Amino acid sequence: MSATIRKSLHPGLNLGEEHGDDHLEAETSVFGFWVFMMSDLVTFGMFFVVFATTVPLACCPSPKELFDLGSVALQTAFLLASSLTSGMAVLTLKQEHTARSACTKKLVFWLLVTALLGCGFLYREISDFIAMAAAGAPPTRSGYLSTLWSLVGLHGLHVTGGIIWCLVIVAGVLVRGVDLRWKLALLRWSVFWHFLDVVWIAIFSFVFLGGLL
Amino acid sequence: MEKNKEFHHYLIGFVLATVLTIIPFTLVATVGGKISFVALILCAILQLIVHLRFFLHLSFKGQQKEDLQLVMFTGLILLIMIGGSIWILGDLYNRM
Repeated sequence: MSATIRKSLHPGLNLGEEHGDDHLEAETSVFGFWVFMMSDLVTFGMFFVVFATTVPLACCPSPKELFDLGSVALQTAFLLASSLTSGMAVLTLKQEHTARSACTKKLVFWLLVTALLGCGFLYREISDFIAMAAAGAPPTRSGYLSTLWSLVGLHGLHVTGGIIWCLVIVAGVLVRGVDLRWKLALLRWSVFWHFLDVVWIAIFSFVFLGGLL
Repeated sequence: MEKNKEFHHYLIGFVLATVLTIIPFTLVATVGGKISFVALILCAILQLIVHLRFFLHLSFKGQQKEDLQLVMFTGLILLIMIGGSIWILGDLYNRM
């Protein structure tokens, strides 16, 4: 039987043969989640296009006055570090699932670190939004600002959702243990979380750094 | 050994992504201008590849065909819609 089990059943990190049936179960649900993620990526792409086709007007504060390079760098660092820690969480699940309680503890640790880093990112992003509104650049001021707020805000909403999802997994793992249901949730969440960082690359490069040039 | 390999995979990805983040930030803070913008685009594309390869574990080897097709088709859709829109509206903008 094991000879017929393929190593990679879906995109991304697979649980692997050691997980037996759980590895096979993951195929449909994780592949399905990738399909959702790809459509979500197209949504982000469309928000991007709308942003890219607007020009900052002379009426309002310019990107150079609005963007804070240090803050964007800090947000990027938070998100990149959280990508690594979320990867550590999935690796813990994949490699140490046999040592049940130790695995749960380590998993919860990495998930909480990831959630904390996500919160740090959100905190900086929201303070930047508040500062922008105070500097006379609310989303209602111009087309450029509307698209800027909606693109960055949509990403922020995704991060918020990702943090809530992460905490739900922590609760689920603590209450029910690392069973199939939470294994699958963790696999899908990690794909979601990595893609948030992928979208952020585009945002910090073209929206913030591009705007500052 | 397989386990260590997977862990190192993440670390390599993290180090590469960090370097590819620091380069554009430093360029924008110090140099500026058109060259920085070109470097910015290059670093963004490279970092995208690093993330897909090291964090999301996509590769041309050992991947199922449908999996790669899903990702590449999405890439194609994005390329057509983003590239096309910017092309058309950029052209209109230049004529105004």
